[in-house]
This record gives sequence, C-alpha cells and structure tokens, in this order.
Amino acid sequence: MENRSTLRKILCIMISSVVVLHTGIFLSVQTGQAAETADKLLMATTTSTDNTGLLDYLMPSFTAESGINIRWVSTGTGKAIKLGENCDVDVLLVHAPQAEQDFVDKGFGIDRLEIMYNDFVLIGPPEDPAGSMGKRVGAALSAIGSSANVFVSRGDNSGTNKKERALWKLADMTMPEQEPWYRQSGQGMLATINVAGELKGYTLTDRGTYIKYESVADSNHALVILVEGDDMLLNQYSIIPVNPKHCTNVKYENAQVLSDWITGFEAQRLIGEFKLLGKQLFTPNAIRE
Amino acid sequence: MDFFQEGFSQAVTLLVNRDPATYSAISATVRASSLAMAVSLLLGIPFGYFLGYFDFRLKKYIRIVVNTLLSLPTVFIGLLIYALLTRNGPLGEAGLLFTITGIAIGQTILSLPIVIALTATAVEASDRNLRITLMSLGASRFQIAKSTLWEVRLGIMAAAVTATGRVLTEVGISLMVGGNIKWHTRTITTAIALETNKGEFGMGVALGLVLLLIAFTVNIFLAGLRRRA
Amino acid sequence: MDIYQIQDIDHFYGDKQVVSIEDLVVAPASIVGLIGPNGSGKSTLLKLLCFLEVPTYGTILFKGQKKSSFSGEVRSKITLMPQDPYLLRRSVFDNVAYGLKIRGDTRDIRNRVAEALGLVGLEPENFIRRKWYQLSGGEAQRVALAARLVLKPEVLLLDEPTASVDAESARLIKNASLQAREEWGATLVVATHDWQWLYETCDSVLHLLHGRIFKGGMGCTVYGPWRMGQKDLLQKELEDGQILVAPKPEEGKHMVVLDPSRLKITLPGKYPLLEWNVDKLNGFITRLFLERNGDTVQAAIKVAELVITIRMKRDRVEKLRLYPGKEVTIAYDPRDIEWF
Repeated sequence: MENRSTLRKILCIMISSVVVLHTGIFLSVQTGQAAETADKLLMATTTSTDNTGLLDYLMPSFTAESGINIRWVSTGTGKAIKLGENCDVDVLLVHAPQAEQDFVDKGFGIDRLEIMYNDFVLIGPPEDPAGSMGKRVGAALSAIGSSANVFVSRGDNSGTNKKERALWKLADMTMPEQEPWYRQSGQGMLATINVAGELKGYTLTDRGTYIKYESVADSNHALVILVEGDDMLLNQYSIIPVNPKHCTNVKYENAQVLSDWITGFEAQRLIGEFKLLGKQLFTPNAIRE
Repeated sequence: MDFFQEGFSQAVTLLVNRDPATYSAISATVRASSLAMAVSLLLGIPFGYFLGYFDFRLKKYIRIVVNTLLSLPTVFIGLLIYALLTRNGPLGEAGLLFTITGIAIGQTILSLPIVIALTATAVEASDRNLRITLMSLGASRFQIAKSTLWEVRLGIMAAAVTATGRVLTEVGISLMVGGNIKWHTRTITTAIALETNKGEFGMGVALGLVLLLIAFTVNIFLAGLRRRA
Repeated sequence: MDIYQIQDIDHFYGDKQVVSIEDLVVAPASIVGLIGPNGSGKSTLLKLLCFLEVPTYGTILFKGQKKSSFSGEVRSKITLMPQDPYLLRRSVFDNVAYGLKIRGDTRDIRNRVAEALGLVGLEPENFIRRKWYQLSGGEAQRVALAARLVLKPEVLLLDEPTASVDAESARLIKNASLQAREEWGATLVVATHDWQWLYETCDSVLHLLHGRIFKGGMGCTVYGPWRMGQKDLLQKELEDGQILVAPKPEEGKHMVVLDPSRLKITLPGKYPLLEWNVDKLNGFITRLFLERNGDTVQAAIKVAELVITIRMKRDRVEKLRLYPGKEVTIAYDPRDIEWF
C-alpha cells in the first residue's frame, strides 16, 4: 500500500516492541535495585575474591544494616588498583600488600585495614618429581628450579602473581623469566591450574581456587597440594578507601562505613563461617581497637 | 563434551524458572544493544547514504577509513571508551563508567562502521537509472534521499542484522566499560566470560544458548519485516 | 514562445565532447524526433533538456528562462523516461502515484492513477496491486510511462521508449504519447529508431551523430585505414575500389563524417568535366522516403559499404527520375569533409 505509512507503522512496531520487551524483562527481575537510590558505594576487588562467592554472601548483610547500595567491579589486582588511582571507584578490597602500601604511600588510598586472610598452596603432580613435598616453600621452589620441572605462572601481575614473584626472591633465585620450564599463562587462576595439569607441572594457587578445581577434576590425574601452611604463603586481604584528597568525588563516608562494618564483630564472624564446597576458606584477622 | 548437554538443560531451567540473575543479564544485554543500534542506525544510514551517493575527492579515502574501522577489536574500543569516561578523562564528570549507557556508547562505535559501510555499498549498488527516474518524476534532493534509501531497504536491513549480531555478542566493550557488575552491568556475554573463567563451563554454554535465543528472536522479527517490505 | 532555446551548447564528460549544438529551437506542443546511432548523444541531449545535467558551456532556455536542475518549475513541468526505465520496488499503484505524492498533489489520486493506466492500455483493476516484479517488459515500460503521464507534464522526453518491447506495447506507448499532446498540449522530444514514428508523427526530425546535428540528412561515418594520396590529401579505398579523398586531420581526430548537406546527387555521366575518380562516388538508391510535410524526400544511397542519406526536395527527385535501384553519382568537395 502506501509505503510511507507502512514504514511509519513498522518503525512504531519496532520501537514499541523493544520498549515492551525491555520493560517486561526489567520488571520481572527481582533485584535490590531501589531505583530511588539509597546511598551508593562502588568497590573494586579481584576476580579471585569474587569467584569464591564471599561477596555475594557477605554484602547483603552490609546493605541491610547500613542501607548503602554497594556494587563491585572484579578484575585483576593491577586493574583494580588502577581503578582506585583513576578515581573510578570508592574503595578497594584486594590482596597485594606491597602494591597496597605503594597505593597508600602515593596518597591514592587512606586508612588501610587488614580484614582477613586465606592462604596459597603449592600444587603439583602426585608423583612430585622435584621432591618438593613437605618442604618450606622457598626450598620447594629451589628444588623445582634446579630439577627444571615445569612451573606455570599466571604472569598477569595479579595478587597471586605478585606473591609468586616474591617467593622466588625469597628462595634466592633470580626470576626464571626466560627459563624453558617456566611457563606464563597470562590467564586466570583456574585456567592456569588447568595448564599445569596438562603439562604435569607445578603452580602456586590460592586455596579457594584449588578447592574448586579439586571438586571438578579427574581424581586420578588431579594436581595435589604439596606445600602448605608456610607463613610465607599467607594471602592477606585488606580494605582501602580511596583518598578523598586525591579524588574529590569519591564517597569517602560510605567507604568508611564499609570499612568499619567489615572489621566489626558481626562481619568477621560471617567471614569465618563462610564455606566453599564445605571447607572454610578465610580466616578473619581484623584488629579492633 | 558433557558440559554441552549440561548447558542445554541448564539453559532451559534458567529461562523457565526465570532465574533473576539470568534475566538481569538479558535485560542489560538488550538495553545496551538496543540503545547502541538505535543511535548507530540513526547516524549511520544518512552517513552511509552520503558516502555511497555522492562523488567527491575524499570519497575513496573515507571509504578506506570506514572499512578499516570494521576491524576494530572490541577490547581496543573498550580501552578507548574507558579512557574517555574515567574520572580524570574528558567525559569523566558524566559518570558514565560502569553503566549501561557507557557500554552502549562503546557498542555504537562498534556498529557504526558496519552500518555506514553496508549502507554505502547498498546505495552504490542501486540502479543508475534510479536517480534519473526520481529526478525526472520531480523529486527534490531530500525526496531522492528518502526514496533511494527505501529502494535499497534490503541492503540496509542486512546492515542492521550484521551490526546487531556484532553488538549482541561482543565482550571486550561490555567488560572494560561495564565492569561486569552483577545486577547492573553484567551482560550475557560478560557473564559467559565470567562463568567460563570460574570453570563453570556448563553455565557458560547455557548462557550462550540464551544469547542465541535472543538473536534468533530478533532475526525472526526482522524477517517478518522483510517479508512485508 | 518557444519551449526550448538552445544557444551554442558544448557538453563534455571529462575530456570527451559529447554534445555540440549551435542553435536549436523547440516549439510548444510540437513533436521532435531524435535519430542517430548509439553514442551519438541522444540520451545526453535529453538529459540536458530535462536539466538533469547542465551543459559545460552554453545555455538552454526553458520558456525563455535559464533554469537549474532542482528548480521547482523544471521539476514539475518536464519529465524524462530513460531507456530501460527503473521501476520502484513497490506496487504499480505506488509507482504511478509517486510523482503526485511527492508533490503533495493527492487529490482524487486513485482516479488519476487509473486514468493514466488506462491511457497506456493497462486495466487498472488488474494492475494496480501488482508488484514491480510481476510485469512483462512491455507492461513495465507502460507503467513507467503512466507514472509520467499522470503528472500531465508540459514536456515529455522519451529515450527509446519502444526499443525493447513487444509490438502491442509499442503501439500503446505511441498512442499514449500522442494523446498527451492532444489532451494538454504536451511537447514531445522522442529519441527512437522507429521510422514510422519519426516520419509519420514527428513535426521535425533531428539527425544526431557524434553529438552534432546534421540538418541535411543522416551523417555517414567513415573509418580508416587511410593512406597518403596526391597533393597532401588522404585517400581511403572503399570495398569496391572507389577512392574517397579527404584532407589531413588535426591531432586526435580519426573519423570522417560526411555531411549530407554538402553532398550533391547527380546522375552518372551527366558531368563529364568532373570525371576524376577523386571527387565523386558512384552508388545506387536503396530507399526513398517521403517526410511528413509532403515536400521533402529522404534518399538513402549505397556506395560500396557506406550508406549515405540525403534529404532533397520532392521536385528534384522527380526531375532526376529517381527510384530505388537507380544508379546515381554523389559529388563532393574534399575540402568540405570534416574530421571528428
């Protein structure tokens, strides 16, 4: 028929169906999105933290008690810290003490508080060709290096990666960057473990990811924990509000509320009770005045 | 391979049980893509028309530039938009980082070259006599533009379909600019990336199938339009 | 006042000259035919008359005024039907109604569309709803014509309107065009190969070759190879051994065109003083054709492989007692020959 009115009709149908579709889906979602915004807070944290499910478990309690609507972005440690430096977030929850100190020293962050720790473990093939089992971690790494067994690193500047590099130094070894047995995956923890599994090599991982890996891996060929408990393997988590002097737009008061809450009795108890696949993962260690 | 089977049944479960997280992701995907597509069609079609219709000295070079932009990697666009929207960046005050609108801005940059290039091609491929016919029936410049675009509507629709596909399935922009924040800017594609990273392959597959379903729905709708045209 | 006045136009596509006309006048409500081989500039001339393009040099006046391509007057009064017209991708109704709709002239639109379709012999009930791909070649051409007729234009320009259609469609197209003149005094300029149309309906016929108008008849192109002859002149040997003589051309020109108005038909042996082989050619009449005005005859003469068409007065034909098949001589002065 008359093409102009057909065209108009078509456009109307298109636009209205997009609107209807979107509204319909939107309404059917039960989310805590009080559109009349309560207070907001944006946090940057790491993927490994988020992947444990701790935040999904813990944060609702925070919102319930404080009325603050908290959202978080999870990326690698390097990027999370960068987001803080760029004033794109209000508070950091990361586990890279050296970089954190740096962050505070440069004036980007303020009032850093330790809140909990989990640990790293050295895992490898059950046959343990390098004979690392039971050793202190420094000695274990030396053994791996001198026997030139495959070691897979994340190689991505994440918290785990930084820890690993520090450990090599501890073992008095130069960074095995170019060594053929040292493989850098550039990926997340789970992917890295899988690479190590394929190559029957060693790697350093946080316990949380290992627990998950263990539950889905083929038990005959899975990598096993060879070194644990060494206090050098502690993975310390801290909370750092972004310094309002550096970023005038950050919600500093809300960040402080979070900081106070998460170091408080209730939150710390919740942290200790959190279980991943039936196993406790984090040990709360906030120091209270 | 059983995570594929697992994924299939999971997809059905998620949709039927109206899993809130999944539907939130669907909403985020649809919102960002629709916004991006609307803007890129509004801007891209006229621009593509000019590029295809007129002959001017810089035409060849602009065409080359547009074609090159077709190969923009999404992470690169993501980085670019992040740099624009970050607090200290030129548009920092707008507070668009980690929002759906921010994602849509990036996706518009992704889809604009596609719309422009394919519209220009459609216009260029149109019959030489079309212009003469329209002019000889008394059309003004504006009417020529409108009628030409209607004549090549199938080509334009191809542009829309292609661009929509690209936009619905990209990860780089959604991740970098959106931040993958649960309930807010977690799209289906970033959710897939996340689940895969966590080792939940079955879930990744399930979400992938959901996305395919969305694309399928969109294309059925477009096919219906095509028949009417 | 004349519908068109052409003054010294030269039109180029890049470096190539495609049309060159010194003066031409078209009277209102007249029918002008354009004839010439492909590439002779007919389509270009029609585009210029429609103001789709503006001549590189010179002006065309429409009703005594200069006009530009998108001027309102031009758009609403002159319409062109190109060779192989393009039908819009919509129904027949929408195609025919298009011109009216974009003008906002939609009063009584259904009847006007039906009337236009009737003019070209397409039954409205049958055709209105058909889509553009549901038409035969002839039907499509007629729809295109209807789309233009419905606008009741003052000038109707047609480029080979019956070239690739069936006989019935051709007849309907011709009738419709004539009716346009009858009903609202439209001026027609038609480029066509259809002799009947040209010489039975056109008030005047323009012969075009290489973008130029030859008033004396159909110009004849002669190609090489040429060889050097006496007195610094070039010679071409025709297939039957006769020699055509021409002066040397300028740079870049390599075709000779014989202008019929410079040629003279005589009978062989009548002028013994001119008995060199150089300045005359022998041939025979193949066709005699009486033009519509009843006064001028076109004579087509075959000379070896060339066909030369010369227009002459009827009484001269009687005087020379010409008939198809009669041997004649064409006398010419080599210095008159032009190069392109």
